Amino acid sequence: MTDKNNKIPFNEDNYTHNINRNNERKLDRRGFMKTLVGAAGVFAVSSLPWGALAAKELSGLGDKKYPKQKITDVKALPVGDAVDFAFPGEHDSAILIRLSETKYVAYQNACTHLRCPVFWKKNEGEMLCPCHHGKFDVETGAPIAGPPRRPLPEIYVKVENDAVYAVGVKRYEA
Amino acid sequence: MKRSYLPVALLLAVLMLNIIFTQYMVHQYFYENYTNTIIAAIINVILFPVAFLIYKKGVNVHD
Repeated sequence: MTDKNNKIPFNEDNYTHNINRNNERKLDRRGFMKTLVGAAGVFAVSSLPWGALAAKELSGLGDKKYPKQKITDVKALPVGDAVDFAFPGEHDSAILIRLSETKYVAYQNACTHLRCPVFWKKNEGEMLCPCHHGKFDVETGAPIAGPPRRPLPEIYVKVENDAVYAVGVKRYEA
Repeated sequence: MKRSYLPVALLLAVLMLNIIFTQYMVHQYFYENYTNTIIAAIINVILFPVAFLIYKKGVNVHD
């Protein structure tokens, strides 16, 4: 054997004489079951992030907290009127509209088209962006006319001690 | 050599359940039913050791 080994090349027409791959691709019952168990493992591992995300949502870790901010006194805002304020940052301009004795709605009033300020048209009962005549539904903030396609981000408000407070920003999904 | 194909059938059933619960989990997540999402994820995780046990039993008996 040793005298053969050092003669290069071998006296053969190929160099794969010692590679034996017979039945390499045969999948028997055992191998098939191994594959199935592996697939079950992949499913199990890929379920973990979904469980983690769901747990995060349930525990409320994803909600951003802002300190509540006084917007205006109830007496200073008659039914049907609106007042501008800034929430949560000082440059995030927003609008509060009193729809009835007890119903208040607030939105960040940068138009979702090109960020012009949106105004409350009391007579027509809708929110209007004067730049390109975009209109928004006052109850939901959804766009109803003009170029904007996305709703206005809603701000949660709360009435306490005859004053209206902004307490949070609704999660924006659009 | 007598083979049993019952474990193979069981494993295929487990895999089918995996698919069902995965789709259920994803859909429940987007419908924001997070409790159902977690339940489906736990079932999916539990199905893996089940599959492994079926494999262990099935390999040693008749092969």
